[in-house]
Amino acid sequence: MKRFFARNAPAYVFLLPWLIGFFLLALGPILASLYLSFTRYDMVSAPRWIGWGNYEYMFTRDRRFWKALEVTFTYVALAVPARLIMALGVAMLLDKGLRTIGLYRAIFYLPSLLGASIAIAILWRQLFAADGVVNQVLAMVGIQGASWITDPDTSLYTLVVLAMWQFGSPMLIFLAGLRGIPRDLYEAAEIDGTPRWRQFTRITLPLLAPVIFFNLVLQTIDSFKTFSSAFIISNGTGAPADSLLFYTVYLFNEAFKFFRMGYASALAWFLLVIIATFTAIAFFTSKYWVHYENERD
Amino acid sequence: MKTSATDLELAIQMDEAARVAHELRLKRDRQERNGRILKHIFLIIVSCVMLYPLFWLLASSFKPENEIFGSLTLWPSEFQFENYTKGWYALPMSFTVFYVNSAIVTGLSVIGNLVSCSFAAYAFARLNFTGRSFFFALMMMTLMIPYHVVLIPQYVQFLNLGWVDTYLPLVVPRFLASDAFFIFLMVQFFRQLPRELDEAAMIDGCSPFKIYWAIILPLSLPAMGTAAIFSLIWVWEDFLAPLIYLNDIKSYTVPLALRLFLDQEGQSAYGQMFAMSVLSLVPVVIFFVLFQKLIVRGIATSGMK
Amino acid sequence: MTKLTRRAVLSTIGAAAAASALPATPLFAADRTIRHYWWGNPERDKRTFAVIDTFQKKNAGIKVSGETIGWGDYWTKMATQTAGRNMADLVQMDYRFLFEYVHRGALKPLDEFVGKSLMIADFDKGPLDGGKVDGKLYALNIGSNSQVMVHNTRAFKEAGIDADLINWTWDDFGKVCEKITAKSGGKMKGSDDLSLMIETFESWVRQNGREFYGPEGKVTATAEDVAGWWQMWADLRKAGVVRDKNKTVILDPPIAESGIAVGDTAMSHYWSNQMVGIQAVAKDKIGAAMVPHKAGGKPGQFIKPSMFLSLSRDAKDTEAAIAYMNAWVNDPEITGILGLERGIPCSPKVRAALTPKLTEVEKLSVDYFTAIQSKVGPLPLPAPKGAGEVRDAFMRIGTDVVLGKAEVAEAAGMFIEDAQAIVERAQ
Repeated sequence: MKRFFARNAPAYVFLLPWLIGFFLLALGPILASLYLSFTRYDMVSAPRWIGWGNYEYMFTRDRRFWKALEVTFTYVALAVPARLIMALGVAMLLDKGLRTIGLYRAIFYLPSLLGASIAIAILWRQLFAADGVVNQVLAMVGIQGASWITDPDTSLYTLVVLAMWQFGSPMLIFLAGLRGIPRDLYEAAEIDGTPRWRQFTRITLPLLAPVIFFNLVLQTIDSFKTFSSAFIISNGTGAPADSLLFYTVYLFNEAFKFFRMGYASALAWFLLVIIATFTAIAFFTSKYWVHYENERD
Repeated sequence: MKTSATDLELAIQMDEAARVAHELRLKRDRQERNGRILKHIFLIIVSCVMLYPLFWLLASSFKPENEIFGSLTLWPSEFQFENYTKGWYALPMSFTVFYVNSAIVTGLSVIGNLVSCSFAAYAFARLNFTGRSFFFALMMMTLMIPYHVVLIPQYVQFLNLGWVDTYLPLVVPRFLASDAFFIFLMVQFFRQLPRELDEAAMIDGCSPFKIYWAIILPLSLPAMGTAAIFSLIWVWEDFLAPLIYLNDIKSYTVPLALRLFLDQEGQSAYGQMFAMSVLSLVPVVIFFVLFQKLIVRGIATSGMK
Repeated sequence: MTKLTRRAVLSTIGAAAAASALPATPLFAADRTIRHYWWGNPERDKRTFAVIDTFQKKNAGIKVSGETIGWGDYWTKMATQTAGRNMADLVQMDYRFLFEYVHRGALKPLDEFVGKSLMIADFDKGPLDGGKVDGKLYALNIGSNSQVMVHNTRAFKEAGIDADLINWTWDDFGKVCEKITAKSGGKMKGSDDLSLMIETFESWVRQNGREFYGPEGKVTATAEDVAGWWQMWADLRKAGVVRDKNKTVILDPPIAESGIAVGDTAMSHYWSNQMVGIQAVAKDKIGAAMVPHKAGGKPGQFIKPSMFLSLSRDAKDTEAAIAYMNAWVNDPEITGILGLERGIPCSPKVRAALTPKLTEVEKLSVDYFTAIQSKVGPLPLPAPKGAGEVRDAFMRIGTDVVLGKAEVAEAAGMFIEDAQAIVERAQ
């Protein structure tokens, strides 16, 4: 027993704030929401137990559930790689000792600051409307643009572009990571005559792996949970024609618009399962490509 | 005589070599300069594209109300500064109050985050203890839950504690490492620091606390700086928790106050809202610019050795 | 942060006062506190806080805590507070959600106070009845309005329109659209495309002699009603006299993005108390017209309570709350401050007192209101649970029709089926 304490006490002391926070503040509501997912709960009267009813409806009779999954998965598949590639690309450009790096870094981060604001939603609608600026620019090179944001077939892509526009956060993290790679490695490679591309794949990528992993996992989790931009741009409805019915938008409406908090809780837990699965896969496969410097596992 | 001949040859060769080297260097310099110019051009173009929406926001904040949606031109027909002056006082409280509130909440939250998350991250990254993987998984799980469904149970919980209509629900969780994002971020950074440092310190008889304070923390300034920036920006812009937990308009934070401007059914004041939105970005940008330098300085002294 | 502790102490006092068995005697000599929660905008908030000040001055022992946020977030917070049994004592209610909250037991009936502390005997009966559910009064009407086709008076004059805007029919409407579009060379269309506005569609159904929701809360509109409606707009779209379809499919747009505000159409459909807000963003002077009638049909419009004040089930100091409510609709100083901002008041006395001080747009809305009195139908039955979702379905399916991706007849049938399923599921 004493040995157990001696060995673990320091760790637990450091972990204490989190432990208190988790078990006293976070766990209760999480378990409550799990319980609620098995009930019919309209928030005004007491919850009524219905067992697997919500889940059954979700998988067998709810058409919009599958639509929401489709929209969200498509978005994740497109937005995450797009964003990460832009972030890494720009970070690498900025990393090579530009004097004005501070200025550029601020400029590229600014869009992310506007995140969920109504102003951006309004702006985005204007930009991508049939007579919007985007089409005006395209017209200059002779392309006839569609009404991107109001056409159900293309509206999701405008949101992907919005995600790409806001690459500032992962970019900052990449920058911090890139700065951690010792310069002399590059210099040695230069002297050896290694081409730039090789330097990238042999030095940058492997040493950046922990940061890439971090960004990948977090961007994926975040993208699955995308809410504000879709909600505001579609005025809360997932319009046009449910093409912007992100999973969390659907969830929110079920809870707060239609008074079906029980069902919304079930939806939320299913989303958790999806995200957890992806994250677990990422963690397990990370053994093969992410190596922390000097770590003995 | 032979020596002078070879000397001459040598001299000529060396001269030749020097000339070639010089030309090569010139060429390389030119290439690098062209490369840099190209890079700058590219970056400038990207910057313009990135900034265009912000220009639109800025321009709209100076436009009269009926022009914001009517015209597509960027430039306002007349510059209306009153969106700013009126907007500041348009709500029942002036924005001074809201800014102070936001500053309090954000300041406390950032401190709380940095302290508690680095503690937890240190434990996860550097210390072996029973239950580490289990707790790590739990921590990651809190990242994955959509906030909207724990909103109501959490509200009831805070209601029972009597914390509703105070800043406690907004600030206290931050001191208890509630934001797993930062724990994860710091874990990834800590794991990159060489373990030999820890081991050397332990041989010297340092306790884990000393190691944390004297070695890990100073070397993690980039991570801390990044965490501080993100923390500040996210807490500053958070509006869902303030919406739910704050009733008294005197205690509202800036993003919440911005929401008072718009009313679907009645009269909205878009110009003023845009103006105030622009202003709400100013502290964030300032903070960002200041903290940028911290990251740079931290890296310059990067103790990889 | 003395704020934190002061609030904690106040709420404890409040709780203690409420817990005491004598409702009229506070435990301490401290203030009684009531909370009032409303959705607003800068103008409304200014007036409401002024009212709170006035009320507090006149009622020294009562403190009113004013809580407000914009419409978009109002209901989220309301739902959260309801779930936590922490609703404000007095909440502003909307016709759309009233029945949801009443049916779930979140509001207290007001009947026991009527005539004793709530003096509404001389109020217009029709608008008052709007707050009744199952025969009990759950919500006090604090402003009425009705549907209105807001039109651009300049465009109308230029196109030489002289139609009778109170009695006109859908045929007249179509002709007006043509004239406007022709006169402006296509730059300004006649009207917004109202295919997706279920509120206007409900008027159409009423004109056909039916209600959208029947007495049992079932959907009694027919697929033919829907098809007729969508077909009419499809024809207008084909003739090119209504707004571009790409703008139409943006749902629930803010006022500033409507056709009349932006200037690309001459008519938009709104509620009469929104006219002040519309004039604020529209470049030209606006006028009011009724929703076009069906030739030989029943009246489609009705006088609607634009918003209510309700007593929540969590209200503790009901006496103070009712005193506040009573002052809200009767006190001359308070009603003077409120004006027409929330709609036309129910009390004839108040209306008379306000008339001399009205602005031009406000006068327009009052004149319009008076002119339509004889042309409107009765208040429709309360919407059942699930009505919000039916509205969403209407807009969703209608979008496909507007974009030409679905056939009118087929979509109409699908919508009615969906609507019935939704209402059933919600019970």
